[in-house]
Amino acid sequence: MKRLLGACLFLGLSTLSSYAQVAPFDMSPERPAEPAPAEKPAAPFSPLPGQQAPAAPAPAPKLAPAPIRADGQWRRYIVPQDSLSFSGENGDKTWAVFITADQAAAPATLTLAYQSSLVVAPEWSTMTVSINNARIISEPVQSPEGRKTLTAKIPAGVLKEGLNTFRINTSLRHRTDCTVQSTYELWTEVDPSKTYLSFTGDNPRRLKKLDDIRAIGVDGTGRTAFNIVVPAIDRTQATAPMLHTAQGLAILANMPNQTVTVSSTLPAEQSPGSLTVLLGTDEELQSLAPWAGDSRTAPGVAFVDDPATGSSILRFRGADWQSVTNAVAGFVDPLKRDLSVPRTFISTQTWRSPDVPLFISSSRVKLSELGVDTKNFTGRRLRTEFAIGVPSDFYANEYGKATILLDAAYSEDVLPGSQINIYVNDNIAATLPITTSGGEILRHFPISFTMRHFRPGVNLITIEAALTTKTDSICAPGSNASSTTRFALFDSSEFVIPSFARIGTLPNLAGLSGTSFPYNRSGKPLPVVMNNAGEKSLSAAATLLARMAVAAGRPMEVDPRATANSAMNSNALFIGAIPQIESSVLTQTGISENTRTIWSAVKGNVEPAPEENTQSDFNEWRERLSGRGWRGQISSFDDWLNRTFNISLASLMTSDESDAPYTPEPAATLLVAQRPNPNGDGVWTVATSATDDNLIEGVRALTRQDHWPELQGHISIYKAGTDEMQMVPVGNYTFVQSQPLSFSNMRLVIANWLSGNILWFSLILVVLASLLGIATSRMLANLGRRI
Amino acid sequence: MRKFLIILMWLVTSISVLLLVTLPVNLQTQLIAGASVLFLMMVLKTLNAGGIWRLIALAFGTAIVMRYVYWRTTSTLPPVNQLENFVPGFLLYLAEIYSVMMLALSLFVVSMPLPHRTTRPATKGELPSVDVFIPTYNEDIELLANTMAAAKAMDYPADKLTVWILDDGGTLQKRNADKIVESHIAEKRFKDLSELCEALGVHYLTREKNVHAKAGNLNNGLEHSTGELIAVFDADHAPTRDFLLETVGYFDEDEKLFLVQTPHFFLNPDPLERNLRTFEEMPSENEMFYGIIQRGLDKWNAAFFCGSAAVLRREALNVTGGFSGISITEDCETAIALHSKGWNSVYLDKPLIAGLQPATFASFIGQRSRWAQGMMQILRFRFPLFNGGLTIPQRLCYLSSTLFWLFPFPRAIFLVAPLFYLFFGLEIFTASGGEFLAYTLIYMVVNLMMQNYLYGAFRWPWISELYEYVQTVHLLPAVVSVALNPRKPTFKVTAKDERIDRSRLSELSTPFFVIFLVLLVGVGVTIYRIYTEPYKADVTLVVGAWNLLNLVFAGCALGVVSERGDKRPSRRVKVSRRCEFRVGERWLQGTIDDVSVNGLRVQVLGDVAEAVSVGMLTDVRFKTFATGDLGDLPLQVRNVRKQAGETSVGCMFMPDQPSDHSLIADLIFANSAQWTKFQLDRRGNPGLFKGTIWFFGVAIFQTYRGFSYLFRHLTGRGKREWEGTL
Repeated sequence: MKRLLGACLFLGLSTLSSYAQVAPFDMSPERPAEPAPAEKPAAPFSPLPGQQAPAAPAPAPKLAPAPIRADGQWRRYIVPQDSLSFSGENGDKTWAVFITADQAAAPATLTLAYQSSLVVAPEWSTMTVSINNARIISEPVQSPEGRKTLTAKIPAGVLKEGLNTFRINTSLRHRTDCTVQSTYELWTEVDPSKTYLSFTGDNPRRLKKLDDIRAIGVDGTGRTAFNIVVPAIDRTQATAPMLHTAQGLAILANMPNQTVTVSSTLPAEQSPGSLTVLLGTDEELQSLAPWAGDSRTAPGVAFVDDPATGSSILRFRGADWQSVTNAVAGFVDPLKRDLSVPRTFISTQTWRSPDVPLFISSSRVKLSELGVDTKNFTGRRLRTEFAIGVPSDFYANEYGKATILLDAAYSEDVLPGSQINIYVNDNIAATLPITTSGGEILRHFPISFTMRHFRPGVNLITIEAALTTKTDSICAPGSNASSTTRFALFDSSEFVIPSFARIGTLPNLAGLSGTSFPYNRSGKPLPVVMNNAGEKSLSAAATLLARMAVAAGRPMEVDPRATANSAMNSNALFIGAIPQIESSVLTQTGISENTRTIWSAVKGNVEPAPEENTQSDFNEWRERLSGRGWRGQISSFDDWLNRTFNISLASLMTSDESDAPYTPEPAATLLVAQRPNPNGDGVWTVATSATDDNLIEGVRALTRQDHWPELQGHISIYKAGTDEMQMVPVGNYTFVQSQPLSFSNMRLVIANWLSGNILWFSLILVVLASLLGIATSRMLANLGRRI
Repeated sequence: MRKFLIILMWLVTSISVLLLVTLPVNLQTQLIAGASVLFLMMVLKTLNAGGIWRLIALAFGTAIVMRYVYWRTTSTLPPVNQLENFVPGFLLYLAEIYSVMMLALSLFVVSMPLPHRTTRPATKGELPSVDVFIPTYNEDIELLANTMAAAKAMDYPADKLTVWILDDGGTLQKRNADKIVESHIAEKRFKDLSELCEALGVHYLTREKNVHAKAGNLNNGLEHSTGELIAVFDADHAPTRDFLLETVGYFDEDEKLFLVQTPHFFLNPDPLERNLRTFEEMPSENEMFYGIIQRGLDKWNAAFFCGSAAVLRREALNVTGGFSGISITEDCETAIALHSKGWNSVYLDKPLIAGLQPATFASFIGQRSRWAQGMMQILRFRFPLFNGGLTIPQRLCYLSSTLFWLFPFPRAIFLVAPLFYLFFGLEIFTASGGEFLAYTLIYMVVNLMMQNYLYGAFRWPWISELYEYVQTVHLLPAVVSVALNPRKPTFKVTAKDERIDRSRLSELSTPFFVIFLVLLVGVGVTIYRIYTEPYKADVTLVVGAWNLLNLVFAGCALGVVSERGDKRPSRRVKVSRRCEFRVGERWLQGTIDDVSVNGLRVQVLGDVAEAVSVGMLTDVRFKTFATGDLGDLPLQVRNVRKQAGETSVGCMFMPDQPSDHSLIADLIFANSAQWTKFQLDRRGNPGLFKGTIWFFGVAIFQTYRGFSYLFRHLTGRGKREWEGTL
């Protein structure tokens, strides 16, 4: 608790100071109605200003300190997330940072600030930072007075042009305690806003080639911002090139937390992690600044330098909109991937290295290929993670099992009762108790675990070994210093995924977040419906499409439209504040018309009406009365069933509840819903909010790396007040064939469907078996002897 | 065409079921499906639904079994790279697959057994000539005398009936044996038997050498006789009077018929029945075979010859050169040979002979070893599946009959498998507690219910398992030896007329006590492990329960090998025949109440207790069924009991001339209806639940009895009280 409060407090303070620093220069047009920064944390849903700050969506990208320091140093933040903490005894984070040729050539220093828990014993705890496998920092972990800053010169030649692998490793030990439980008290937090590369000179900040877009990097909160400046923002012709540009940029930079801001005026300056992009005809650009309209170079796309700030600005120009559109196409088209070419990897390098392999059928991979090293472990709780990807038509959640063939060894110290756990996306999926004493070598020992928690796109699988030993139960002073290996995990272990059912289901927002399914598979331009689009809804649309493009691994051709009628028989994406969304769209996507009222009431701070839900009331009563008398015994049997088999009476009931029109709670900032279109031949997805401000805030939060995978179900909502996502599970759904028909796939699809519709399996079994009985009886009566 | 369509429909439905059950659905779905099917089977069972419902229930069961096999095959085998787990794990898997395969074969055989055949009495006019063969080797002459007398007394024209004693105990080879005692015995047997035969009007036949055992002996009989049909009776199998009239009629109907087989009905209990005291209440072991399996085989024209109580056609036997003798089960082998030549068989489900079965555990095991080894030889030398002459159903039937005798292997594996885990911590079956419940437990219950459905009235729950277990211990080496050396086993005649006059432990009992103690240690280890290794208590509990079940069988088996002393070795058959009983010179009116092969009980009118004393020699006079004449049968009084207005006198037969045996045979074997009635009295399906409770009760008591026998055996104390008690 103490740790949490401390962290929040310090983050909060830093944010506040950033505001203070930047606000005077903040003239960016997309945030005109932004309340004064000091008021911001006092949002209605936040009881403690100090806690609000870190959880709040990162404010606009320009809060970072000025890039050029007095000492002529230029900073590049390197942590691609807004917080980076290592908990437990061992921690590991590997990602890649794109470095331009100039940056690679320049002398550079690495600065890292961290804070660790008080119980960490510095004598036995270390933190190592390496770049391209060269150890840059290796220090005992010790931050007695709060944050500690480490600085190290990066030897020349370590940084290379292109992607550079950064890796932070922690090994923490407890001062006094030796229990597995105590390892949860161990943590180290790296402060992203104080962790950066500093380059000397002016060249490193220059971007020259288009490929240098990948070096855009992040700001102190791990965000990446594209400011697309379109002077003719209201021109219809401009919308599509704008959205295409946003996608192209997003795919090229491929950073985890990217936002796109569309505006008609130049931002005052370009902070780290952001890139200003000009889009327009020479004439239009001329109105922004003289240099911007400079038409001496050939039409197309290139970097130009802003003489005022010295920063590199990407410019798409042409004599007229046709040639601007061509310029955009010239930039985006090379990034396109043919529909028939499947991806084998999901590119995640910039936040998690190596790239995640995408499994589209049965596969078998060594953990070493998934970025797991052999580990010789002396502590008590070893965690190691790797990620795998599954396609959006993955349909094996109900029945499927994946396997880890574990190569590991444990010493005679390890007592029976220790466990090896497998987690999938932080849900426990399998437990292997260690049952023999005296040590053992496991050679390709199979641990099967359910694929229930798999979702389209990237999935995180964690292997955790929780080890109890005799030495630990005695816990003599200094025993944490022991360097005897207790457990070894070998990188020759393998991950095996069997061939799994593949069929698309709709609605399925998880498919959208995973690989932009089904829009990623369409050859036709995607209609994007924005009524009366202002800068904010355009920015929101651009941000969302940029995220979808990254998920899809290809830019998607879009077709801006104004009304739903034009998209009646096709796919469509609707973006806008709720007043802009037509009622027919709300109805079609299962959102209650009441939403309008509820959201308009929010502005008046009306207490939300208490939700009534008979089923949940009923369950509550059952809960209260459980354990009483013999009926209690039945319900505790139900509990046991539930624990052992995950069956409850509820799972046997087929309910249509979720198909009633959905009304979000007033606190919902953003609502995303998906349903087939009225004709049933396409999919409609709606992203809507109470207001334009909520929309842009919500979309920015939604597209963040930590929230994006939580986009699931039929409807997902984001609540800014608590910075959390909620989802409404899919009720009725339809199948979309994604693979050529094959017997083995159909079989698996049916298996999954029946596993989800338990009673149907029993019913079909009974019917077929009865038919078999009848057929057998007929046959036996006709064959053999009769009397 | 119609047939083709029906088979096609069956194929389509079975493939659909197969596809459905091999879907890799999750555990929850399996649990619910398993539980629903189980529930439906129970409902059908409770409603006692027959006909088509029976097959539907069996189809339900089949679906669950197939799901189990699918799961067992795909998810439970230990990884190959852990050989210490994989090898025993795979053996266990094979054992289970064997069991499932046997279940499938028995489903095929007995899903729809033929109903009882209506009697087809032969028309007396043109009856075929019949040779009756009674092969003998070393049986008591007394015993033979009864059989011969009964055979002679069969209701059949005398000119068409020839009874032959085929004596292999008095061959020239035996009589000229090097050992003087042996040759002396053979010489005496030759002489006595020839005389007896002559007196009874039976042909005595022996041969020079004892080659090819029983088959050789029968073939020798074939050479010396000419009858169209051959009836074969074991030395102790006495036929009823109507035996031939009930059977020969079928030969008229079908020219290609080579065999009419009838059931073997036993007057005495086998060791298990005797020691567990179940003979009077529970259907006998062989009733499952004769009551339903042979009927099932008969449906597929695959009822086979069981060595006795059957009629065969000489013309057919000539085709194959007589009885086959490669294996030591010449009967089944002969049937295969003739079936594969296109001859047919018929099974008549009506007991028409009564005989004896091995009384001691040792001779019981001896008999079963011969069957097992013989069937293994058939499997080896005449593998039914690839026998081109047989129809496909016949191949499956014979496969079922022969493969059955491999049961010692799976039984042994099931016995030791839990110990691998309990003693050595090996994990040979990888499944969680939940999976065990959803798959294995449901499968086991379904399996038991299917067996109950198939054999319910003929075999009570767990009895098959008990029989298999008690045989396994000694049959396993026998089967292994025949597998290693298929030509080695030789025909050994099973002794059936032993008497156990005092309670004792069988000479084969030691391994049973050892096994019991090992399993008991296993229970101790289970408890220890549950307390010391709580993190895997679920698996330990499951394995421990399995071991406990084995312990129950092992305990029950201790009762089986603790031989009860029995004053009356053979069963008394209730009869009710008017008679006169001689007291001194007076002939008193009376009724013969019951008879056994050794004696009878008479109710004499009036109080004659003073006049009759134990040990007194006397006679009883009654009218025979065979001829209608009066006959006097000499007796010795064994006990006298006074009753209201009557005196009940128990007597032992004292036959002193051959015709006396005809009288005894007339008393016991004259009426086949009484045996049918006795069998029907025992039949009754207690159901799975009641049957299980009953069995566990028996098992607990028998464990106690086994140990008390052991205790007395070791200490030698209280011997006198012991004898005849318990």
